[in-house]
Amino acid sequence: MARPRGTDGSLLPSLPWTLAALAFALAPHYQFQPIWITIAFIACGAWRYTIEKRRGSLPSVWIRAFLALVCFLGVLTTYSTISGVGPGSALLAIMAALKLLETRKRRDQFVLLFIAIFLVMSSLLREQYLWSLPYLMLAILLIMTAWIRMSADATEPARQSFATGGRLILYAAPIAIAMWIFFPRISTPFWAVPIDTSTATSGLSDTMSPGDISSLSLSDAVAFRVKFEGAIPEPRLRYWRGLVLHRFNGRTWSGNEPMIGKRSREQVSIRGEPTRYEVTLEPTHQQWVFALDMPYSWTLSNTFMGPQQQLARVHPIDQRIAYDAVSYSEYSIDTDLSNYMRTWYLRLPEGSNPRTLKFAQEMRRSAESDTEFIVSVLERFTNEEYFYTLKPPPLGSNPVDRFLFDTRRGFCEHYASAFAVMMRAVGIPSRIVLGYQGGELNPLGGYLIVRQADAHAWTEVWLEGAGWRRVDPTAAVAPERVNSGISAAMFGGFGAAWGLATPSLLLHRLTLTWDALNAKWNEWVLGYGPDNQDKFMKWLGMDDPDWRKMMLTLVGIVIALTLLVSVLLMLRYRSPPRDRAAILYGRFVRKTGIEPAIGETPDAFADRAATDSPLPAATVRTITASYLDARYGSLDPAALGRLEEEVSSLR
Amino acid sequence: MQRGSTIEKLPVGKDAQRVALENARKALGSIILGKDRQITLALSCLLARGHLLIEDLPGLGKTILAQSLATVLGLSFCRIQFTSDLLPADIVGVSVFRKDSGEFEFQPGPIFSQLVLADEVNRATPKAQSALLEAMEEQQVSVDGNTRALPEPFFVVATQNPADQIGTFPLPESQLDRFLMRLELGYPDEANERELITGDDRREMLRNIDAATTPEVLQALQRSAARVRMSEPLVDYIQALVRQTRESPHIEIGLSPRGARALAAAAKAYAFVERHSGVYPDDVQEVFASIAGHRLKPAGNTNFRSAAELCQHVLDSVDIP
Repeated sequence: MARPRGTDGSLLPSLPWTLAALAFALAPHYQFQPIWITIAFIACGAWRYTIEKRRGSLPSVWIRAFLALVCFLGVLTTYSTISGVGPGSALLAIMAALKLLETRKRRDQFVLLFIAIFLVMSSLLREQYLWSLPYLMLAILLIMTAWIRMSADATEPARQSFATGGRLILYAAPIAIAMWIFFPRISTPFWAVPIDTSTATSGLSDTMSPGDISSLSLSDAVAFRVKFEGAIPEPRLRYWRGLVLHRFNGRTWSGNEPMIGKRSREQVSIRGEPTRYEVTLEPTHQQWVFALDMPYSWTLSNTFMGPQQQLARVHPIDQRIAYDAVSYSEYSIDTDLSNYMRTWYLRLPEGSNPRTLKFAQEMRRSAESDTEFIVSVLERFTNEEYFYTLKPPPLGSNPVDRFLFDTRRGFCEHYASAFAVMMRAVGIPSRIVLGYQGGELNPLGGYLIVRQADAHAWTEVWLEGAGWRRVDPTAAVAPERVNSGISAAMFGGFGAAWGLATPSLLLHRLTLTWDALNAKWNEWVLGYGPDNQDKFMKWLGMDDPDWRKMMLTLVGIVIALTLLVSVLLMLRYRSPPRDRAAILYGRFVRKTGIEPAIGETPDAFADRAATDSPLPAATVRTITASYLDARYGSLDPAALGRLEEEVSSLR
Repeated sequence: MQRGSTIEKLPVGKDAQRVALENARKALGSIILGKDRQITLALSCLLARGHLLIEDLPGLGKTILAQSLATVLGLSFCRIQFTSDLLPADIVGVSVFRKDSGEFEFQPGPIFSQLVLADEVNRATPKAQSALLEAMEEQQVSVDGNTRALPEPFFVVATQNPADQIGTFPLPESQLDRFLMRLELGYPDEANERELITGDDRREMLRNIDAATTPEVLQALQRSAARVRMSEPLVDYIQALVRQTRESPHIEIGLSPRGARALAAAAKAYAFVERHSGVYPDDVQEVFASIAGHRLKPAGNTNFRSAAELCQHVLDSVDIP
């Protein structure tokens, strides 16, 4: 083998820094990656360090190739693909680990630090939180320090390397900020971030099968945040409409594809006062757009209202988006329902849930009108022994029968499903709406947080003359759920009944503070898109901002900042302390009264001056030594101080 | 002279290396008497990872210097006596056919030592010389199509009789450049010559002397030497000297950029041996003649009789910034 593989320990001082920078860059990936990648990295790092420590040989090219192949296949089997954020960063991590095994020179270490920078950046493809910024700064600082440690001589204290790295970052920061502010934002991105589809499961599902899932996970992840213009609606009116399900097969409710069907905003007629608000929706990777029941207008592009008044966007929502909307709480929809549509909303599968059908029809016969029937069904939920629980028993076949007559325990889905089936059984058209109900007011930010745990299902029934009306059977069973919101109920002690620990109020307040900070961050930093940029440019006094003006401003600012930093640096290094040493030495030479010859070194001059000048020999020697040290030697400013003192004490 | 400016902030472990270097210097001084300056220069040459050419008349202790360098620095040593019938294979080694195994086996030549003394290098033919010079340049040798790395560290100390003797092949200028330094030993002074006449046999002394360092320590010292600080005014000084060699009417061909680098590296190593806190102008002046002497080509009409005088002239005509 032509290339030597031995190590001589010359990387020993800088290797730990490189390893630390890599480990720090890998840290945020840790929870998303299979554990074997982390183990592989630690193993390779320890292996490489031991080799350097013992001055051993690096593994041969065959071993490295074999390891690379094994790791590549490992990634391929783990993810069954190599494209996307997950496998991509896993490959990057593996490459960093294996590159360690062939790191012989400083150049290889540079490559490792480049990989570290990529790893830091790729963690932003997964999540961008408020804490991402300090993490980013720290990671870059560590990488810079590692870089400096690699080039600096080993005697430089680590503190100084950190300071140099920090200073370099500070020089770059204004340019980065200017680029962030002025780089023109466009509404449709040129590229799409490859989304890690394997973990994108937040949001509502497109179907509903009560009884299949025997417990509902209470995720406090934020679904969206709402800022109201004016008064915030009462909790019982906070129904956030999402998708509508109208097909039932005896077990599962399902709906239309989001964009299929007639646009039906025209069928909505509104009354009363509008509610105006702005929603900041977290990415769901679905097309549904949430708005207060009943949305009337919205500012989100490519978003339409489906035939059941559900809002959907043409593209899935893969990034956090914000939109303004106007809703009316008093409305009527589809007051004329065609016979065809009426039978569509009455369809029930043959032979399923027979007890429910029979029971509903009996109840209807004893009621005078549809309205009275609805009221008596809701009263049955209130008065008889029905329980609201998030851990209901599983239901077998004919789940509605089992739920209504046997288990009597369930959450919103069970009640909505049972209610809708009973309505259809007696000829009242009904459908199920999925969305969110409630939301918690964050007093610090003056906005409403709607969490995944606020997900809710309710029903709509069609009544002659009135059109579709919202009926929430869950409200009949657990009015707290609707009136105070799920989280209020949880923290009010109701949570204990669900088997949840009650967190302290202080913790809750901290959570709210953190969320308020996050909301501001999302709004102003992550949400700095074309609209915000436009607003900000106008605020800065740029009239009619377009991308050319912004680009020009950006170029101008970058040039100005570069000049400024250059001037600052020049000022900093303009009068190097060394020149001061030369001036002082010149003063000393004049005092000796001897003219130094061309090419005479200070030491040679000192030999002459010690005998020929009136100055004492010892003084001549000390001053010469201090001068040599201050001008040609150490960077220690004490040497210059010494020289200053010695020369000024000359008489 | 008081050196309030010695390198004091050496990390732990470097002190031991320092001590080793001082011991090596002392041990060399006890064998080669009265040549402290040449010893320091030779040590600096090795610390700057350079090869050394010693040029002088026979009997002035060239071989003893090379041998004691190897012994004191703890390096494996081999001596090649260059003669006019020396073949490249005598230097790098040959592949020998083994009857019992039926295969060729490489017999490494004397070049596979950490310190190689090429004695009277100008007596061999250019062909043999170039085998040595290739090894010096590449740190490896090619035999039968195989490239073999030489041990590390690897130094060549070549000795040469002044070229005006009969039956020699003087090294051409381009190849002289491969030697970082050229030293002349010169005659010892009265007192030291007396000591040499009356004292023990130098070769006998060499046998009783212990190594002061190991190759590993030597490599660490080399790394430290390369890191000695070189301040801006000093770089200016080196540049001014190099410019003067190119512009002086007494010099036909001045120092190349490689020569300038060699000057800087040697000055760093010298400053390191002298424990200066950076490269001082004195360090540059001390090494200048041995670096530039064999690299400069004097002009035809110059009245300087030796390279040393020429170098001193260059030093005397450049201001120290």
